[in-house]
Amino acid sequence: MLAHQGKSVEEVLNLLTQYENCKIIAGGTDLIIQMREKRISPAVLIDISSIQELKEIKVDGPFIEIGAAVTFTDIVESPIFEGNLSGLKKACRLVGSPQIRNAGTIGGNIVNASPAADSVPPLLCLNSILVFRSFRGIRQVKLEDYFKYKQKLQIKEDELLTAIRFRRPEGTLSFSKLGLRKALAISRISMAAMVKLDEEGTIKDIALASGALGKYPMREREVEEFLLGKQLDVNTVDEGLKILREATDKRLAGRSSYPYKRRAVERLFREVLSGVVA
Amino acid sequence: MKKRGRGIGLSFYGTGYGNGFPDVSKARVKLLEDGKVGLFVGGAEVGQGAKTVFVQIAAETLDLYTENIHLEMEDTDITPDSGTAAATRQTYNTGNAIKIACENFMEKLKEYGRRALKLNSTAGLKVEKGEVYLEIFPQKSISFRELAEMYKEETIEAEGEFIAQTVEMDPETGQGAPYWPYTFSACGVEVEVDTLTGQVDILKARLVQDVGRAINPAMVEGQMDGGFAMALGYILFEDLNLVKGKMKNMKFSKYLIPTAMDMVEVENIIVEEPESTAPFGAKGIGEPVMIPVGPAILNAIYDAVGVRITELPATPERLIKAIEEAERRANGG
Repeated sequence: MLAHQGKSVEEVLNLLTQYENCKIIAGGTDLIIQMREKRISPAVLIDISSIQELKEIKVDGPFIEIGAAVTFTDIVESPIFEGNLSGLKKACRLVGSPQIRNAGTIGGNIVNASPAADSVPPLLCLNSILVFRSFRGIRQVKLEDYFKYKQKLQIKEDELLTAIRFRRPEGTLSFSKLGLRKALAISRISMAAMVKLDEEGTIKDIALASGALGKYPMREREVEEFLLGKQLDVNTVDEGLKILREATDKRLAGRSSYPYKRRAVERLFREVLSGVVA
Repeated sequence: MKKRGRGIGLSFYGTGYGNGFPDVSKARVKLLEDGKVGLFVGGAEVGQGAKTVFVQIAAETLDLYTENIHLEMEDTDITPDSGTAAATRQTYNTGNAIKIACENFMEKLKEYGRRALKLNSTAGLKVEKGEVYLEIFPQKSISFRELAEMYKEETIEAEGEFIAQTVEMDPETGQGAPYWPYTFSACGVEVEVDTLTGQVDILKARLVQDVGRAINPAMVEGQMDGGFAMALGYILFEDLNLVKGKMKNMKFSKYLIPTAMDMVEVENIIVEEPESTAPFGAKGIGEPVMIPVGPAILNAIYDAVGVRITELPATPERLIKAIEEAERRANGG
């Protein structure tokens, strides 16, 4: 196996076209395990963890762009995600352990495409765009579509995920995770919400996304449609929960893990919706 | 909903092999060339702190500072057999053997002291602070170092052996006194159970351990924290997931043990009631510190949500299943 330490995006793109069976490595927190278990055996590893351009968090007017090699720790420690974006910070803080957060990257979390990836539901609520680069040009894909139409839209062999881009929302982002212990826990369920309320407490804008409640992390559109324009109160939350369960019943009925998740999802739903007003 | 409950667990535990099985520990003590004392013990340090308490017991018996004791432990070529580091037996059994070996060694030192000091008898000789001296005429004194130098052609050493007292139970009636001594423990916890997710949070924990005498109180507390953490894992997390005799949870991402984040602050209370047959009154506590914790947690869960968990671990999924069954029964379903 060959290993290259990439010095620039151009060099990486060049290597991707030059070699076959390449894998990009940033933190390696998923990749190394897959290699050790022989689930993948790449011929060439290209390390992007020292490419400065990919390690930056940029604010460009209303847009925020997170480089693909930005670590969870970088996000947790960045002042950019204070205030109404602290839900993303919370999701990154609940990933694994300090060691994993120091090495693991946001780009890796997306491309590895685990249904339980903690950073994904908040990014889905932010209508994030993925920026892929190759010598063929730049390809931008909505994060939501990336999982939904994975066969068609997934990363190509000559592509590098360079950044995740979203517009700073007017509403507040919140996050909730159900893990089986307090650290180093894979999410049994995760949930994120972005809600904008007016002065009367009416929901003017909403995004709700779940993790590990389906084959991939996704927006809960039926619930969003129901909640939009409603007063955020106890009745609305109770009704919203019913709609969420109807949606998950369709997706997960019959799975042995579902009876538990069906009940437990109430805790997360209530938490994320109370999180947006806190 | 989150519901709170409290539970206690109590235990008494017989230490040592028990049931009439021969339970023997040996130790050897030797005067070294530099006047320090060599302690030879064939017991294993497995993190429980045996190396520390063995040296402390020898130092206390010989009236020396611990830095004057040189311990040799794992090498079976040069150490006598002190039995297994198992059955909560090293502090009590091997501790006793060390104390006996040190006492025999002091008698040896007195004999050599008598010869060196040209006395008629060992009567009235004392061994203290690295010296052998005559109590009624302390000017008659010789240090361990001088003894070692004077008798370097000879080996000044002594052995100690301790055989624990255990009685085989009557196979017909099951009567008897299989263990000695017993160690007593108690645990109380307050938990909060999330009735939606089945997660159990331990809010308060208190563990009380009878130790006879704490040879090293900080290490006793370490054992108590460790016992609590092990029980916490056993009761709430650790699941081999045996399917037709095969372990399905073969890695630590599936076989969950508590992390430092899951461990709670335990209020440890050490009860000292010296045991007459023990070295300085000290009993073993290795296994006992874990035993009452599990029942306490499960009783607290019962107190909180009214369900008895009879299959371990009490994972969130299992707990929710039990809660839902109880709800169905309550609704007459």
